Amino acid sequence: MSRYMINKLMLEIDRHDESVEAFKRNATAFLEAWEAAALSPNPPYPDGGSLTPDEREAFANWDFEKLYALGAHPYLLWHLVRAIFVPERLTVEELGDAFKAAVAKHDWPDFST
Amino acid sequence: MAEIVLTAGVPHTPLLWRLLREPIPEDLQTVASNFDRFRELLAIARPDVIVFVASDHFRQLATSNMPAFMIGKAAEMRGTHPNEERAFGLPFVPVPGDPEAARLVLGHHELPDGFDFAYSDEPWLDHSFMVPLLYLTPQLDVPVVPVYTNTNAPPLPSARRFVELGRYLRTSLLGSSLRRRVAIIGTGHLAFELGGPRQFLGTSPDPEFDGLTLEWMAKGAVEEAIEACSFERLLSAGNLTFQFLNFLTCLAAAGARPATIAEATPCRFGHEPFFAWEEDEPIHDQQAHAGNRPP
Repeated sequence: MSRYMINKLMLEIDRHDESVEAFKRNATAFLEAWEAAALSPNPPYPDGGSLTPDEREAFANWDFEKLYALGAHPYLLWHLVRAIFVPERLTVEELGDAFKAAVAKHDWPDFST
Repeated sequence: MAEIVLTAGVPHTPLLWRLLREPIPEDLQTVASNFDRFRELLAIARPDVIVFVASDHFRQLATSNMPAFMIGKAAEMRGTHPNEERAFGLPFVPVPGDPEAARLVLGHHELPDGFDFAYSDEPWLDHSFMVPLLYLTPQLDVPVVPVYTNTNAPPLPSARRFVELGRYLRTSLLGSSLRRRVAIIGTGHLAFELGGPRQFLGTSPDPEFDGLTLEWMAKGAVEEAIEACSFERLLSAGNLTFQFLNFLTCLAAAGARPATIAEATPCRFGHEPFFAWEEDEPIHDQQAHAGNRPP
């Protein structure tokens, strides 16, 4: 598991409007570009700067339940999900209900960093 | 010497910023009037500087470099981040700092014994600073020394450590030669969850915990609070409840006196905290240790 990279990626998407819009336009392309850049920074990132296949799939599919279960930090996850779903896909109320229903079965996975 | 003219604890829920506009929703009217009341308390106290204890929300501090406690020591700081302008509608504004007061707390050439603060010459204040500041000092005309705490990215400092931070702030300020009227303000949550199964319940996720916090503040029961505030207990009250620890810093900074105001204001976000330790006369301690070290 590369929880550090999950949190780092969530932070970097949500930080600027441009990255939120790019992720929303094409999550797969965004991930490919981000991972390519993260693979060879100097000095290298821990875990080689890459996501596991599970993590990559969860991001590509905007699968917040899976990211939550993987230990994504809840605060970062909520703000990322809110930024990409609202208002085009769901209202914040609809998203809040869907989010709660999805993560409830996972209780509180360890989100220590 | 510095004088402590007010210690207080207030909420910073960022969604308040768009909601506390006329007509103010019924469930938030007491939150609004409490902010008005605390703005008046602060105006009466006339501080020259606010030492502001708040949690960064991964805005300036990420786990690439995560301190337990950090002091901002710039003369001018940036208020709020682009994603908080987008998400909460907060304005991007300059906030005055107080490098002299910050260095007194932080240390000039050596860090104080027992406290290894991180520091920043580019403090960038997120909503946890800005929401209270915009309500309590709308002109942003009182310089601020930000004390960032890590309550969001475990491992966190323990409850006892937050209390020691408050004691340190008190002794270092009162024992100093700094000529300032100081307000110490902290912000955080009572029981609160975001990004978890108990978010947006429309009520507190743990009213029992909220009730306990009022008792601790009203009695000045600092040891009782430390004993109760384990990581597990705080998490069981909600995954952002760790921010309550900032209020233990306030309690200790007030000398662990019973609070003169201890309220948990019910609203759609649960219970919003309003704590104050008012001073009949500004406190100073001529006997306290001089300089920038705790006694």
